[in-house]
Amino acid sequence: MKKSLYFILCFGLVFSTFLGCTKKHKLDNETLVFNLETEPPTVDPTKTTDTTSSLVIENLFDGLLDYDLPNLTVVPKVAKSWDISKNALVYTFHLRDDVTWTDGKKVTAYDFEYSWKRMIDPKTAAEYAYFLFDVKGAKDFNQGKLKDEKQLGIQALNDTTFQVTLAQPVAYFIHVATFPGLMPLRRDVIEKHGDKWIEPQNIVTNGPFILTKWKHDYEMILTRNENYFGPKAKLKTIRCLMVTEQSTALSLYQTKKLDIIRNLPALEIPKLKTSADYRSGNFLGSYYIGFLTTKYPLDNKYVRRAITAAIDRNQITDLLEKGDLATTSIIPKGLLGYNEKIGIPYNVEEAVSWMKKAGYKLQDVNGEKQWVDTETKKPFPTITVTFNTNEAHKTVIENLQQQWKKNLYIPVEINNQEWKVYIDSLHSARKTPDRVGFHIFRLGWVADYPDPDNFMSLFTSYSDNNNTGWANPKFDALVEKAKVVLDPKKRAKLYDQAQKILLEEDAAILPIYIYAHQSMWRDEVQGIALNPLDSWKLDEIWVQRKTAQK
Amino acid sequence: MTLVYILKRLAISIPVLWLLVTLTFLFLRIVPGGPFDQDKALPPHIKANLEKEFDLDKPVVWNTKKWSEGHYIQFFTETQYFYAMKKLVHGDLGPSFKYRTRRVTDIILESLPVSIELGLYAVLFAFLLGIPLGILSAHRHNTWIDHTSMFFAISGVTLPSFLIAVILIYFFSIQWGMLPAGLWDSGFEYKVLPVVALGIRPVAIIARLMRASVLDVIQADYIRTARAKGLAEFPLMMKHVVKNSLIPVITIAGPLVAAVITGSFVIEHVFAIPGMAKHFIQAVTNRDYTLVMGVTIVYAVFLIVANITVDVMYSVVDPRIKLS
Repeated sequence: MKKSLYFILCFGLVFSTFLGCTKKHKLDNETLVFNLETEPPTVDPTKTTDTTSSLVIENLFDGLLDYDLPNLTVVPKVAKSWDISKNALVYTFHLRDDVTWTDGKKVTAYDFEYSWKRMIDPKTAAEYAYFLFDVKGAKDFNQGKLKDEKQLGIQALNDTTFQVTLAQPVAYFIHVATFPGLMPLRRDVIEKHGDKWIEPQNIVTNGPFILTKWKHDYEMILTRNENYFGPKAKLKTIRCLMVTEQSTALSLYQTKKLDIIRNLPALEIPKLKTSADYRSGNFLGSYYIGFLTTKYPLDNKYVRRAITAAIDRNQITDLLEKGDLATTSIIPKGLLGYNEKIGIPYNVEEAVSWMKKAGYKLQDVNGEKQWVDTETKKPFPTITVTFNTNEAHKTVIENLQQQWKKNLYIPVEINNQEWKVYIDSLHSARKTPDRVGFHIFRLGWVADYPDPDNFMSLFTSYSDNNNTGWANPKFDALVEKAKVVLDPKKRAKLYDQAQKILLEEDAAILPIYIYAHQSMWRDEVQGIALNPLDSWKLDEIWVQRKTAQK
Repeated sequence: MTLVYILKRLAISIPVLWLLVTLTFLFLRIVPGGPFDQDKALPPHIKANLEKEFDLDKPVVWNTKKWSEGHYIQFFTETQYFYAMKKLVHGDLGPSFKYRTRRVTDIILESLPVSIELGLYAVLFAFLLGIPLGILSAHRHNTWIDHTSMFFAISGVTLPSFLIAVILIYFFSIQWGMLPAGLWDSGFEYKVLPVVALGIRPVAIIARLMRASVLDVIQADYIRTARAKGLAEFPLMMKHVVKNSLIPVITIAGPLVAAVITGSFVIEHVFAIPGMAKHFIQAVTNRDYTLVMGVTIVYAVFLIVANITVDVMYSVVDPRIKLS
């Protein structure tokens, strides 16, 4: 008995001694601890497609142009000015001559020429190569049809002049010059180190920060670039952690191991909302429901309209409590072409009348209301909605199911699939809608660049992202036309017409809400503003800790 | 003798590994959705460029086109399977599909040591706590000590590790501020919670096994004889009982160690530890073919080595067991 008591006591003593060793993590006014959330798949600008990598790239590199946030106007960066030819085909960028790489060499137009050409080189196999397909020869070059680089519309005229020639004028092309994938690159560094050129010991950049440490899947250390041509970063060090689990990030934030967290655990949001640290804002992304428009019974546009009108979107945003903005328009608020009056709003009476117009009659069968086809006398079939496995999507889809049942007496089944399986079945739905086990799906779209074309061209008949099977030549023509019209007012009108076809006449999709992002930071962290692009300019942030621990 | 035995066992494991690699390769291709399927769909020829870069432009197992052209060897060689196997034989796992600029070998070499470090601490914790706890329970059979430790042992086995982790974080980090809620920095304080959370289940398993085994041995004739001869209790327990009770613990030690040191997804995820475990799950979710292959091989090798070690250990602990 005594011995065992000793044993327990000894163990307790040893354990508490270990606990006594705990040191406080040092936080000072020169360092910010930021949560990147995941490992950036790569920081090679040409090869990225994801937002985490872009966030890091935007802080390591400077491109030709940049956005003035939150206004979304395009402003000079490495290019001090630019000219657009009268026919809107030739863009000439005049570069500053005082921008240097971290190894001291000057940034020249040839570095841009190299990175732009690398993007469309089929050997690079860049996923975002299509961003440059409006450039003369780019698409053919990427497909391997054009071999001669000189025939491409990408050219450095001298050290400080970079010229791009387009195949056709496009209104949004200037945004391409801000794109993180097109940051200048050093050919010699990439050729010397191969894929490892992005590791801290090799990388050469030109932005406000230098990548000084990258412990994969754990942290990145960004250090102020003291030779930066612009206003230097306010903080000396940014420690970017990769804490994927949101509740862990929250615990670390609450115990002051993290200064900023982006994305909060869904279940905690109602509680966190009351905190002074909670910040939220909308950004350029839309959540929508897509209909398989070539599959019975959704091949009838009146059925689609009815289904759309039966949904009160506010119920969903209220349920999610994230601050998302219910919308009837697919172009998100904040972009040219957003029009809150476009789209089918919640109206049960109208929904019922559209079902009637679609050729169905409401009947009482065994005390339950049911739609029956007036011609074939067949009951309206059960509709299946599919989504990718995720708690928030489940909440949305279950609510839709209830609303369709309650407001429109339509029986709905739901099923979920793992992400890649889901994507695969969406792609098959496009080709063979009758062979997939669903009628309705969910998706979201976040702007690649702040232009309505990015949203509208998704639903053209030839878009690889149009999973609905819907095709309307009038819509295609309007979107194509709006692409090349430079006058914003005229463009907005064209997009109004196009959205009316997509959302009202044909009701091919049902926009639900415009995304909101949530973040938390304490008042001691300053200089941040949530913006519609969800862009994080870390060089503008500074900290003023109340009790700086040294 | 032992060396021959080990070599023999290693030789047998080569076909086992090959079969495993082949099955993994095939299953990955059967699962719907590929590495480059994403919500923002890629234009077909861009996808083709990518597939070419990763050898996915070739048929999976046999190339019927080459057969019809009369190239019978290329029927086998111009395939994804052959290319993958050829690289594997040369020890090249290829580039990751998701982390395009990183090699799978690098990913494993960077993350595996972290998992091993965490795992070793946890194993050490498990043995150091589990074995004495088991012995103590058995020795004080049916007393409050036995009941209390078995209560904890059963809780340890039944409670899922994420729950234990969350409870630990809640009390030790948020409420009492004693230990960090996550991360894997160099300080000792960063290791405590993950090690305890990961080790608690093995502690419970080992304690229960050890208790049962000690109880068994304690009733054996030779122990009664030893007692009758007047041997003191402590040396009796240590020399005769414990050593002979270790067999079942060693049996499970192999797979347990292999499982623990290749990482625990839940613990690494909850504590934001940059170990290998997350790749077991995420690589499959991303359809990162090469990375899945890499982590599968690593896990298999660990399992094989652990099992061989266990078999060798048997003969060390109990000379009646012969290696053959």
